Amino acid sequence: MTSEAKPLPIVEVLNLKKKYGAIQALKGISFSIGKGEIVGFLGPNGAGKSTTLRILSGLIPADSGEAKVCGVDLAEEEGEVRRHIGYLAENNPLPEDLRVVEYLNFRAKLKGLAGSRKRERIKIVLDICDLERKDSERKIGNLSKGFRQRVGIADSLLAEPRLVILDEPTIGLDPRQSAITRKMMERLRGEVSFLLSSHILSEVEACCDRMIILSHGQIVAEGTLLDLQKEFINSTVFEIVSLGNRIELQRVIRKIDDTCELIQDDPVEVTGKRRFTFATEKGSEVAESILKRLLEVDQFRVSEFQITRPDLETIFLRATKKNWEDQDFLGRNKKRPKITSEKNK
Amino acid sequence: MREYLVILRAELFGLFISPATYVASFYFLSLLAIGFRFFIESFATTDWILPPLASLVTGLVFGAPALIPFLTMRSFAEERRLGTLETLMSTPVGSLSLVFGKWSASYLFFLLICGCAFCFPLLLLLLFPNQGETLGFTNFEQWIGGWLFLMAFGASFSAVGIFASSVTRNQMVAGMLSFTLLTLYLSIMAFSLGDTPPTESINHFSDFWNASLGSFANGLHKLQHFAVGLIDVGTIFHQLILGFFFLSLATLQVERLNH
Repeated sequence: MTSEAKPLPIVEVLNLKKKYGAIQALKGISFSIGKGEIVGFLGPNGAGKSTTLRILSGLIPADSGEAKVCGVDLAEEEGEVRRHIGYLAENNPLPEDLRVVEYLNFRAKLKGLAGSRKRERIKIVLDICDLERKDSERKIGNLSKGFRQRVGIADSLLAEPRLVILDEPTIGLDPRQSAITRKMMERLRGEVSFLLSSHILSEVEACCDRMIILSHGQIVAEGTLLDLQKEFINSTVFEIVSLGNRIELQRVIRKIDDTCELIQDDPVEVTGKRRFTFATEKGSEVAESILKRLLEVDQFRVSEFQITRPDLETIFLRATKKNWEDQDFLGRNKKRPKITSEKNK
Repeated sequence: MREYLVILRAELFGLFISPATYVASFYFLSLLAIGFRFFIESFATTDWILPPLASLVTGLVFGAPALIPFLTMRSFAEERRLGTLETLMSTPVGSLSLVFGKWSASYLFFLLICGCAFCFPLLLLLLFPNQGETLGFTNFEQWIGGWLFLMAFGASFSAVGIFASSVTRNQMVAGMLSFTLLTLYLSIMAFSLGDTPPTESINHFSDFWNASLGSFANGLHKLQHFAVGLIDVGTIFHQLILGFFFLSLATLQVERLNH
């Protein structure tokens, strides 16, 4: 019997904890990232995302727990770990008085690149980040936010890192600039692992293989979008665009599925029709039989039917809601008021 | 070592492209040149007992609190203000390389300005050889002594400046702090009386203090030795210790910023 050796994960985090004064920023998180994976790191403000990213990039130490990057323990060989990592800090600080190419040259030297390899890598990252030659001659202080962000990403890719950590890479960028960042990640998919923190959920949804949702220093959800949809949204949601009375429509649908509930009712412009959104706990098969029944009834004149998947925003809100309600502002569990029974009174 | 050299080069480049450095250097050297000219002209009527070259060294040492802040205040304060210290620390650069690289750059620039100042007597010697010879500018040992004295004090002064820059995000505050610390140190040295007593005659605490830390407190008095080419190794050693002390503090501060 032969067993295929499982490749080592690029990032292994085990029970990582970090405290800032009285605030417990991380409460023992564990996760791993495989080679070439693009992982989205989500969470509300103060959830501990940036702290985790800063620990992984060797900027700050963890209080306890284990973090390995490319098999190298961060606590033991911090300098070695930094050689495998490209890091784009939140707000992307850059020196204003250097030209793009001067800055990349300086950063390449710091990362141990020299000679023709350095020149070649600079050329490659400029190309990956869609920075043309004339852009690279401009002073960083004169660049727009989008260009600056691309310079930061180019820097993070310089030394052919195996893991690229991007802390809010598309914040404040216009859709075109965000698309360039996404394109860059797509281009490197499979070769480089990305750990991407962002508040722009649609973007994470579009480009990440897997998501980790953090709240109050704890991982509250982890998996692919499909996994998260299954875990957090039990019901199947479908939309119907039709004519007719809402009450009548509901009555017909309830005859087939009594668990089906109308959750939204919006008018559709010009046509006079309405868009009804229903949720059922009985799965997509029931939704399809509802469609069949509605098509038989002339008065509804169904023109659109769609089973919709809940988006990441819905999942994110569900995943973080419970945790958010259970914690106080210092990240401690809230004390629940004692419930005294009527008898004791 | 490679990272240190990269930082050193980048910092030197930063100093060379900064207009503030040129403005500060120009004014400093201009004032020094005017002072030196008046001193040389009135040398015969003064009761100055040291060689005339020592006056230039004294001018450079006492002018350093005005010059050093311009060379050092930017180093860490600006990085902290922009947040680039974090990106710098995400590369394989250690805080020691970072601090020593930045210190070396400002120290070398200080020595460059001292070198420019040493061109004044050199020019005088070239243009008016007789007068230059009368003023003792042909005595090679005086040049060496003066230069070593400046090297020793420049090392500790720039370390103080680097430390001041590491404790704040504001360049102006860093500059003021550096100026204050250097002026305070020069005042202690200028107003301390007496000389280091021989070890066998230590009777009081003040004698012990002078014997152990004499070169710190009386460092300026040693200029009379350096001025005639007598190298006081103790003074050089003590200035290096002082420089190392402030650089260690700066390194600790940079480490602390990351934690």
